[in-house]
Amino acid sequence: MSPSASPSSRGALAVRLDHVEKRFGSVQAVKGISLEIPERSLCGFLGPNGAGKSTTIRMIMSIISPDAGRVEVMGANALTMKDRIGYLPEDRGLYRKMKVGEFVGFMARLKGVHSTGLSRRIDDWLERLALPGVSKRRCEELSKGQQQKIQLLASIIHAPDLLILDEPFSGLDPVNGRIVLDLIRAEQARGATIIFSTHQMHTAEALCDKVVLINRGEKVLDASMTELHARHDDRGLLCEPKMDAPAFAHEIVARGIAERAHVRESGAVDLDLAEGTDAADAMRAALEIAPMRSMALRRMNLDDLFVEIVGGADAKGARIDA
Amino acid sequence: MPERPQQSAFAKVALVAWREFRHTALTKGFIFGAIAVPVLMFGVFALIPLLLSRESPPLVGTIVVIDPSGAILPRAKAILAEPPSIEDIADELQTMPKDGATNPATSADAMSRLSDLAPQKIEVEWRGESSRETLDAATAQVKTEVRDGLVLAGAVITDAALDPATESKPIELLIPSSLSPKHVRQISRALRRAVEEERIARSGVDAALIERLASVPEPAATRISPKGAEAEEHTEFRLIIPGAFMMLLWISIFTSANYLLTTTIEEKSNKVMEVLLAAVSPMQLLGGKIAGYSLVSLVMLVMYGGLGLAGLSAAAMLDLVPLVHLVYLAIYFVMAYVMVSAMMAAVGSAVSDLREAQSLVTPVMMVLIVPLMLWAPIIDNPNGLLATVTGFIPPAIPFVMILRLTAATEPIPVWQTALSIVWGFACAYGMLWVAARIFRVGVLMQGKPPTPKELIRWAFVK
Repeated sequence: MSPSASPSSRGALAVRLDHVEKRFGSVQAVKGISLEIPERSLCGFLGPNGAGKSTTIRMIMSIISPDAGRVEVMGANALTMKDRIGYLPEDRGLYRKMKVGEFVGFMARLKGVHSTGLSRRIDDWLERLALPGVSKRRCEELSKGQQQKIQLLASIIHAPDLLILDEPFSGLDPVNGRIVLDLIRAEQARGATIIFSTHQMHTAEALCDKVVLINRGEKVLDASMTELHARHDDRGLLCEPKMDAPAFAHEIVARGIAERAHVRESGAVDLDLAEGTDAADAMRAALEIAPMRSMALRRMNLDDLFVEIVGGADAKGARIDA
Repeated sequence: MPERPQQSAFAKVALVAWREFRHTALTKGFIFGAIAVPVLMFGVFALIPLLLSRESPPLVGTIVVIDPSGAILPRAKAILAEPPSIEDIADELQTMPKDGATNPATSADAMSRLSDLAPQKIEVEWRGESSRETLDAATAQVKTEVRDGLVLAGAVITDAALDPATESKPIELLIPSSLSPKHVRQISRALRRAVEEERIARSGVDAALIERLASVPEPAATRISPKGAEAEEHTEFRLIIPGAFMMLLWISIFTSANYLLTTTIEEKSNKVMEVLLAAVSPMQLLGGKIAGYSLVSLVMLVMYGGLGLAGLSAAAMLDLVPLVHLVYLAIYFVMAYVMVSAMMAAVGSAVSDLREAQSLVTPVMMVLIVPLMLWAPIIDNPNGLLATVTGFIPPAIPFVMILRLTAATEPIPVWQTALSIVWGFACAYGMLWVAARIFRVGVLMQGKPPTPKELIRWAFVK
């Protein structure tokens, strides 16, 4: 799979939104969003709180209907595709009095899973999620993190072709976060298309091959990670020399390897490479000046990009408002 | 991506329905509340006479009768030895003040008299004082004995008491403060009847003859149908059975509709609604919930109705419930259930807690209470204007019509029955349609409850 390829060149689309709009009373929650998510991709929905991510997801799920525009899921009306979609909503919900196995079984049966062998399948999954033996326990008896994993299980038990996870990592400790992360990777490896919304930029960066950034109901960014790196990676190195940092900075600029060098408070040095300088050559030259604790290519950071886009838009909005 | 078969809409509705039924009717709470409690109550009512007989304290002690005539003591002794008959009690109730419905004390007294029917151990020693000269001294002596608890009671019956013409109270009864009201009634009854018999004997009339002359049984009423069929009349049951039919509808439907309301609110507040809507459409969810709780309602209807029919069958009075009434019950049950459950589902989807639901349910409940309030006048005149008009007002239609049809001694015009069914189901469909529209919007709404105006807007929003 080539994440940078255009959707049309990659075959079928898992989700297609065409100028979708949604208004709640006086609030325009989604403003003409169009996007295409290819099958088998892992797409991150990013955006600040109240940006319109969950509303967009609910329209993809056909839980709410758009006021205008068109939503297609796997080439059809989403209502007819519910059984092929797994969904973990932002507001977690369980039947508190129901037993875990019964709840997951009920959701699986609603999604068309045959009852034969279902119990065994649920037990296997519970084992995999580090929840062995909870099948007979009531949902309300579980901890919050355990309940969240049960909800996640209910959304994937039917092996969906499209998995939509709204903030899947919120409220999870690092150990459970890792379990969920592995599970998402495994689902993608199985062939599922995955859309998930998150505020954790480093997770999105590590997982996604495509990101969609929504702000104030509008799509402000829609690109593959490769495209983002190509577009936003500046030509730079980040070095931690084992010598006096200002002296190192002065020397490397003097040798014409870097146009500029900036010494951080931590002692690390940011290098903006000179036009025509190869990064590998620059690294070798830097090592000749001083041994290094660490040295790496300076890459685009989603966190910074998020702040730049959203912060810029907010500032613009504030000026407009004023 | 390989295609997989989509679960059919019917299968989804059935799955939701079964979950709702299973988690309502097959729970300890439901089995205890809806089945065990009524059965226990039934058992307690059956046990009451037994408990009363066990609890009835024995009447043991000495009764002193100061009676110059000397005739009262042997008569009272004989009468007290016989337990009172139900007719005796009925006679006493006839002579009580007619304010039982408004005076709780009178009402309670009337109820307590029924306990006099219970078997009881009586070991009474009678002592007579018949000297006219020592009447005052004997009375004073008895008062002392009563005060000291040496005797059960003392009765002073003067010659004047045996004269029907005198206005004075015929019997002066002296009792200790500890004597129970039941024992007071028993002794009073024996003395009063002894004076009554003595008065009759003195008049020269045969007391047995008077009793025979005065005891005319109730007329044996036989109803003759237009087709010539004859049936024994049970007036009291003709009043009770229509009420029982309506209450059967009311209880079975409102119990399950209440579950529907509370579980819908619970699913919203537990946030499980969105999880469900990812798997089923709002209409499938609503359909499943209504179907599931209809089974709960049906269980109650069959259980309570079956108990009632079994009781009538045991009393050989099954003829009071003709088959056509059961058919009407089935028809109006479906109509009433659809109306009430649609209303409850709509309200449940629109609010976030039960308190908010109350304000939306109350106006409709006011209409539904009409049949309960007007039960007496409707069954008294099932073809009257009141019964006819209320029989066409939704959502009271099924409740009023079942009252009218089961109470009618003259047939309800066929056109009215047919129209009520057609109009009632049309209204039920309309309510279901509106409820479905509100449900679709309401289930995803959070925050403050909608106003009635907003509910109407939801019903007609695209």
